[in-house]
Amino acid sequence: MSETIDKQEALEKFATFINPQRVRVMKAAGLDIIEAERSGAWVWDADGTRYLDCFTSAGSFNVGRRNPRVVAAAHAAIDRLDNGNFLLCSQPKAELAERLAALTPGSLSCTMFGTGGGEANDFAIKLARGSTRRLRIVSTVNGYHGHTGFALSAGGRASFRAPFEPLMPEFVQVPFGDLEALEEVLDERTAAVLLEPIQGEGGIVPAPPGYLRGVRAACDQVGALLILDEIQTGLGRTGRWWACEHEGVEPDVMTTAKSLGGSLVPISATVFTEELREFLIPSPFIHLSTFGGSDLACAVALEVLAVIEQTGLVEHAAAMGERLFAGLDRIAAAHPDVITEVRGRGLMAGIQYSEDSLGPRMSYHLARQGVLAIYSGNQPAVMRLMPSLVIEEDDVDFLLGALERAIADLLAGAGPEERGPSRPRRRPTRATAS
Amino acid sequence: MADWDELTEALADYTVTCNGNERLRKMQRDWSRNLHFVCADNELTFSMDVQRGEIIATPVGHVGVPDIVVTTDSEIFCDMFWGDLNPVQKYLRGEITVQGSQEDVMRLDAISAVIWPDV
Repeated sequence: MSETIDKQEALEKFATFINPQRVRVMKAAGLDIIEAERSGAWVWDADGTRYLDCFTSAGSFNVGRRNPRVVAAAHAAIDRLDNGNFLLCSQPKAELAERLAALTPGSLSCTMFGTGGGEANDFAIKLARGSTRRLRIVSTVNGYHGHTGFALSAGGRASFRAPFEPLMPEFVQVPFGDLEALEEVLDERTAAVLLEPIQGEGGIVPAPPGYLRGVRAACDQVGALLILDEIQTGLGRTGRWWACEHEGVEPDVMTTAKSLGGSLVPISATVFTEELREFLIPSPFIHLSTFGGSDLACAVALEVLAVIEQTGLVEHAAAMGERLFAGLDRIAAAHPDVITEVRGRGLMAGIQYSEDSLGPRMSYHLARQGVLAIYSGNQPAVMRLMPSLVIEEDDVDFLLGALERAIADLLAGAGPEERGPSRPRRRPTRATAS
Repeated sequence: MADWDELTEALADYTVTCNGNERLRKMQRDWSRNLHFVCADNELTFSMDVQRGEIIATPVGHVGVPDIVVTTDSEIFCDMFWGDLNPVQKYLRGEITVQGSQEDVMRLDAISAVIWPDV
């Protein structure tokens, strides 16, 4: 890094001009990291401490942080492009849409671009309602699809929705993995079922075997669309290009984002069938996004896809995932009082702790051991491990060693140094005697 | 080990401090929760009824269905309600356990941050 960052100044400015409670929470959790150098699977705090990044902005850095090929492509794009006029037809958009059509399963062949996952899911829902002329959207409890309008309405975490209700009508949630519950609410009024093949924020919960196929069949029976949110699970994360390929299921609509931007640019894509595109033929400007699929972002995303394909990252993720899960299973077996289950696929792993407070506490202890890992938003008892797919065997072993040391610290009752207030104690002196 | 009188005094001070803080009341106006507390060392229990950010009552025993259950030693509760310790540090050391949503846990910390920014 040529630029020196004053960490304390950065934290103080963040507290003053963004949110003091975020700084307080992150400090308390030992995660008051100001990212400085970033490279591959690692990130350096401004104070020089190195961390293996197992959060990766919820799976946004599949090709590694500042992947040299992607950085070079971004430089080249900046030299000749800008965001582009969003109303005009664009060569980078067309190229990227063609690549996505080739890489996504089945008859998915048309794309609408956006800037983030929420926007991608918003458009998927708009497309479902517009195409089917039906209203109902069925999603799953603890599912996560973003914080924008339609996507938030489909979200499975009540605390995210409650302050803003009423949200969009005709959104229904059913337990994830329960096919019977889903079939009970599906009928000819249902526009689409929206779900993740593996719930990410919900605590790294893979769909039970056969569930996705069952959902596909149930949708077909009532003429509802199947929208798969592959924003965290896609682009090689689970050891296949898309997690739905493990089950051989082809959705009508698929959303992808996060890692598509290669850790450098915001971009998302909603990929759908030619049949569904019919809705957009008479209304080609019905969904617009000023920066969605900007020319710059498309150029970067094309290189991201090329890197994943040409460097064998999908197969590599599967191999590293096997090593990771073998180690996690061994550690879990040695500490049944701390870890009750390990689950996931490829490099999308979830550690189920025995109680909720262990998520935040283990985030703290792992950070002390050089691992950046954060518990699931909707399930604090679950630690998610989603390192970059460029992670190597030594990195996996480092992670496993750090986890063992973190558990030892946890069991020893270690924690942050206790500091009382700088002012005199308020509690009356007589009350301190026990 | 603190007795019920000491806890009552601490709770009373905490209630006055919270309810008298206009910024906090405004910030918490959409927060209504029933909190249960368990003293792990002497088995004392008490509750806190919060309605739209106002502490309505802090009765002895467990009243109603809890949204949050906080467990720790009675001395820690007293120090916590008097604002003499940072509960997050105790939480991360495993000395305070909280059953409930993570949002509520963070909100409890936010309350402390507002009324005792120096802790």
